[in-house]
Amino acid sequence: MCPAGNPMTQLLVLLLLAVPVLAATVCAAIPVRSVRTAVVLATGLVLAAASVGLLFVGRGTVSPPPIGNVSVDSLVTVGDFALLAIMFGYAIALRSVIVGLLVVLQAAPLAWFEFSVLDHTTEIPAFAIDNLAIVMVLVVSVIGSLVIAFALPYMDEHEKHLHVTRSRQPRFFFFMTIFLGAMNGLVLSNNLLFLYFFFEVTTFCSFMLIGHDGTRPARESAHRALWMNSVGGVAFVAGIFGTYGVARTLDLKEILSHGAGGALLIPIAALCFAGFTKAAQVPMQSWLLGAMVAPTPVSALLHSSTMVKAGVYLVLRLAPVYAGTALGSAIAMCGGFTFLAAAALAVGQSNGKKILAYSTISNLGLIMACAGLATPLSLTAATLLIVFHAVSKGLLFLTVGTIEQQIGSRDIEDMWGLYQRLPVTTSIAIIGIVSMMAPPFGVLLSKWVAIESASGVPIVVVMLALGSALSVLVYTRWAGMLLAMPSLSHPAVPERLPWLMKAALFSMAGAAIALPASLPLILSRVVNPLFAATTHLQDLGVSFVHGHGSAVAFLPFYAIIGIGVLVTNAMSRAAKRVRFTSPYMSGVPGDFQATSFIGPMNERVPVVARNYYLSPIFSEGKLTPWVNAGAIMLLIVAAVGAVR
Amino acid sequence: MSSAIVRAVLSTAVALFVAPLAIALLTGVDRRVTARLQSRRGPPLLQPMYDVVKLLAKEPTVSNRAQIFAAWTYALAAAASVVLFCLGADLLLVFFVQATGAVFLVVGAMSVPSPFSQIGAQRELLQILAYEPLLILVFVGMYMVTGSFDVSAIAAYPKPMLLELPLLYLVLGFALTIKLRKSPFDFSASHHGHQELVKGVLTEYSGPFLALTEIAHWYETALVLAICAIFWAPSVWIAALLVAVTYAAEILIDNATARVTWRWMFKYTFPLGLVMSAANLAWLYVR
Amino acid sequence: MFEKLIKLARVKSPWVVHFDCGSCNGCDIETLACLTPVYDIERFGGINVGNPKHADVLLVTGTVNHRNKHALRAIWEQIPNPKIVVAIGACGLTGGVFRDAYNVVGGVDKVIPVDVYVPGCPAKPEAIIDGLVLALGKLGSGDTASARAAAEAIKGLPVESAGRPEEHS
Repeated sequence: MCPAGNPMTQLLVLLLLAVPVLAATVCAAIPVRSVRTAVVLATGLVLAAASVGLLFVGRGTVSPPPIGNVSVDSLVTVGDFALLAIMFGYAIALRSVIVGLLVVLQAAPLAWFEFSVLDHTTEIPAFAIDNLAIVMVLVVSVIGSLVIAFALPYMDEHEKHLHVTRSRQPRFFFFMTIFLGAMNGLVLSNNLLFLYFFFEVTTFCSFMLIGHDGTRPARESAHRALWMNSVGGVAFVAGIFGTYGVARTLDLKEILSHGAGGALLIPIAALCFAGFTKAAQVPMQSWLLGAMVAPTPVSALLHSSTMVKAGVYLVLRLAPVYAGTALGSAIAMCGGFTFLAAAALAVGQSNGKKILAYSTISNLGLIMACAGLATPLSLTAATLLIVFHAVSKGLLFLTVGTIEQQIGSRDIEDMWGLYQRLPVTTSIAIIGIVSMMAPPFGVLLSKWVAIESASGVPIVVVMLALGSALSVLVYTRWAGMLLAMPSLSHPAVPERLPWLMKAALFSMAGAAIALPASLPLILSRVVNPLFAATTHLQDLGVSFVHGHGSAVAFLPFYAIIGIGVLVTNAMSRAAKRVRFTSPYMSGVPGDFQATSFIGPMNERVPVVARNYYLSPIFSEGKLTPWVNAGAIMLLIVAAVGAVR
Repeated sequence: MSSAIVRAVLSTAVALFVAPLAIALLTGVDRRVTARLQSRRGPPLLQPMYDVVKLLAKEPTVSNRAQIFAAWTYALAAAASVVLFCLGADLLLVFFVQATGAVFLVVGAMSVPSPFSQIGAQRELLQILAYEPLLILVFVGMYMVTGSFDVSAIAAYPKPMLLELPLLYLVLGFALTIKLRKSPFDFSASHHGHQELVKGVLTEYSGPFLALTEIAHWYETALVLAICAIFWAPSVWIAALLVAVTYAAEILIDNATARVTWRWMFKYTFPLGLVMSAANLAWLYVR
Repeated sequence: MFEKLIKLARVKSPWVVHFDCGSCNGCDIETLACLTPVYDIERFGGINVGNPKHADVLLVTGTVNHRNKHALRAIWEQIPNPKIVVAIGACGLTGGVFRDAYNVVGGVDKVIPVDVYVPGCPAKPEAIIDGLVLALGKLGSGDTASARAAAEAIKGLPVESAGRPEEHS
């Protein structure tokens, strides 16, 4: 099977899993701010370094040796049931019947499975490192480190805003760092039970972090996230059951080597459903929307870059089993429908975080669609999307959080003319928005590859085309709001950003700009060997100039963009001869900047402009029932596809 | 290898210099023909060029600096998309490059608090929403027929695509009408001599920056007409005839129809376009 | 060399914005008649753009009163240079028969610099086009009243026809 990894690999995996746990314990135990800052920053550095190290040297499988006399397998089993018990405790505390029921529905079959069905004598390598796992580890560790670094000054300010007397930051960073360790474990897992354990840990961390502020909306959203993700947990347990029943092993690599189709499809469909709930696909999207009440670092880390990516990672990982089957097509259609539906729902929103949430769900749907199509090209698109979307969306969430702290609102209507009040933050926001929409940045390039890979399936490609246009609408009007310049004066209050937040934002923005430049390298070294796709870019269709489909082709393109940016910047700066006039009001402007006009009775009427939200069609209340109905129909089709 | 470079340089030169001038001439012919249809004499054929030169020589006047950035980005992106097309690049990429420019046009218009500019920008977004998915579906149709998204491969296809993609050509015509800012789909900013919301999304651009938007418009028109032309790739003459007939039809429709509201367009025209695209694609898939 | 081309282009492409400053609409109807097929200024390259930011020529009708002089001034300022102003009709020249009314300023040139005066009550379309063509010559040479006013303002000389100081009525 897979060769055992060298000692270096083992060390790196240990670091990736153990360091966050240690850091979490320290953060929770020592509530001293400076210690916490040092520990969090150190953890970030170690994780980032370890993930990069894994990229270069780590391959193969890792089986952790027993600790003392206890095998790690048993530890995980104990952990599983302990976690379920804790969740049951919360179910009682919250008086939630549904959570209690779902926990029992997980615990009982799991117990039966562990103690009477599973053959404990076979040795399964616990962790397996291949390129996909490395990509995910990099995303989690690097972006995660930047986000928790950002969170340090952010949470100080956040608690000041909320007039919190006793700091709850120890609890916050405990769960954030534990979460990073769990994510690393999840993507490295080769044993399905390990995967399930880490899956549940992320659910629990999400529950605790969403409810962090302790307000009523926070607790309700946390509860909703818990039960919806627990539905996924139940599906996961059922999937484990079924998979073991058919394949007689929990080794992921072995399961995947069975090839496409067969009796495995039904349990795999259950696992994919678990992935769907984790990735908040329609009709299970409401928990992610509710999760937006959490502090921004939570949204940036869990609910855009990493935890929800665990869901798509799972579905992507299982691609060899459903490739070319009816289940695969159904997954593609469900994903495509989510892409379209979430983009449409975003049109009716003016709340900045909700727009980003719907956009996240939409892009996750796109990744699902690519995974479902399961051609080498579409799987490449899915992987690239995971990477680039994590960077851009994480950046946007951090920026919205920064803006919210400075202006006290997350509504995009309040961000009109923000460039003049907060030039640095707004510039970064614009970089984030442009990196979601424009070539040569990663998200658009991945979307391009995705559309090309879907071109053989008309239904999916129609949904992709429509969804793509809707997302352009959503982001363009936001960018327009930000760049409005209603006055020529300088801001009264200069912008101040803590250096750590600035560093995190700048790093993410830099990554969003620079990472697409290394796309040829990413493709040739990391992604192509993964999906056994050809190593020639032009055959992948990712060529700009016919016949020159090599890495060189990217450079002239960047040159065009670079020249364009330089020229436009030079023109706008050196425009000394430019005369400034007031906007055309077809009347008498009340002042030079036309913030008002002279109306009847010589009164100044303020100028108010709002975006079109097309609420008769796109408002959340109106559209969601239709979307949910359509999604449920598609899920039924998927289930039927799996069974047949 | 060197002949490829020479060809590339020539293509770039044609794209950058010949294409916009040709479209400027075509626009002049358009205005002349439109005038004759309205029993007027109409301007000289070189009128669009006089307009642009005059605008370039005007005093630069703006309401804020974002407009300068927006106008330049719009023009450069439009030019880049035509260059990429002439170099035979991937159609979807060409389209996304052009779309970036269109996005910045809207952003520049949204940056000014004038009501005409604001509403014009929102309507322009709705127009983009209308033609973008349909254009992507046209490209997908081309892919299904020729097996490639690359312009070079599509242009080398031995059979005329029009015969296999008739409905998609009509959908392309719908997108062309919007791009040319002609009736009935000119509710965000109408073309020369016509006003909608004064000049809608273009209201606040003036002088040299308005000239840049005009030049960008020439490039965009060149791009869409070139896409029309490759529907009959085997013969250059028939392709030219096709483009001429299409453009003549556009002029005719422009003079014969009234402007529709965006609601009307989304209620009737857009679903019709979707259905036609889906039908054509389905037929290609099934056969 | 470019100078000649620019001059030619300016003469060949006069874009017009028309503003009614309290006119009885007689001159307005005659002005808009110029756009119709019978008179057709588009054969001279003229388009009614309706937006000062796109315009070269400002056609003003009406007497100008103390309310709309601010709007007139604002529109004139928003037109990029070089620009010409054509005052149309007796009202536009001196206030016409309404000259002595209490709310009438009495003529466009009391608010903004005017290049060409087109008399008549109402002025005929032929006369308006004639005035426009006359103004085109000034546009080509660059010797417009607006340019002169701007130059005088820079030099610190009192600007005769640049309008009275802001009175808010």
